[in-house]
Amino acid sequence: MYGWIWRHLPGNAWLRAAISLVLALAVVYALFQYVFPWAEPLLPFNDVTVDGPGAAG
Amino acid sequence: MPDRAREPEGVPEAGGVPAAPTAPRRRYRSPLAALVSVCGELLITAGVVLGLFVVYSLWWTNVLADREAARQGDDVRHNWAQKGSGGGSPGTFDSEDGIGFLHVPSMGSGEILVKKGTDTSLLNDGVAGYYTEPVKSALPWDKKGNFTLAAHRDGHGARFHNIHKIRTGDPIVFETRDTWFVYKVYKELPSTSKYNVEVLSPVPKESGKTKPGRYLTLTTCTPIYTSDYRYIVWAELVRADKVDKNRTPPPELR
Repeated sequence: MYGWIWRHLPGNAWLRAAISLVLALAVVYALFQYVFPWAEPLLPFNDVTVDGPGAAG
Repeated sequence: MPDRAREPEGVPEAGGVPAAPTAPRRRYRSPLAALVSVCGELLITAGVVLGLFVVYSLWWTNVLADREAARQGDDVRHNWAQKGSGGGSPGTFDSEDGIGFLHVPSMGSGEILVKKGTDTSLLNDGVAGYYTEPVKSALPWDKKGNFTLAAHRDGHGARFHNIHKIRTGDPIVFETRDTWFVYKVYKELPSTSKYNVEVLSPVPKESGKTKPGRYLTLTTCTPIYTSDYRYIVWAELVRADKVDKNRTPPPELR
């Protein structure tokens, strides 16, 4: 998978490494900005209130 | 030049194409090997993503929440300064902005802005919220009742992270524009069900109280890093001091 991506990137090894780094950072950004904030309330790690059954924490 | 040296013996036909030995090997990889390889890479990726989620939960949300809480706290203090001290009754506070600051010296986390409501989006800003449901909280300046608060144990500012360090007899001070409400802790409940809304009652019987009074209840999740149970701390109002011109803190905070 990653090998396939590597072979399809343009340029020499240095340019490919630079593009890979940018891609990796873009993925991390998307995770922190969109995916994790969406996923966090769905996971049972951070409900702090006492509530009746069914109420959101 | 080891390639050139070996060339005449081993691969007589391959002359002048150094890349030739590696290229065919990749092309002939079996489908099974390719599948296993992709699965392995996906598993590694999943591990990295989960690791990043831990970093996000325990570090990045704190960075965001600290920034947001500091900004909102500054706004509240700015508004207080503009309105001047002395004028107006406590009831005129704009609850949208936050009603005051909680100081818990034994938690050692500085001041905690308190706002109305316990919605996740509100608590995620690194503030504490007072309950509006399922049991409506009293406010500190009410004659009787239970001032009930919730805040995060981990991530998002982790305002009640050190709640387990609070002991009976410790002071908790709530600061409004013109009053210091000084409470004293009289009971901790290290673990209770998340459905135990009784702890928020105006007279919290589980803490041993039977008569109406001016109580304070802190709630957060426990054990640390999970939210299977709730940790409760109860305190009772000792006295209410007027805030002076220099906002000199009460002796409990010095």
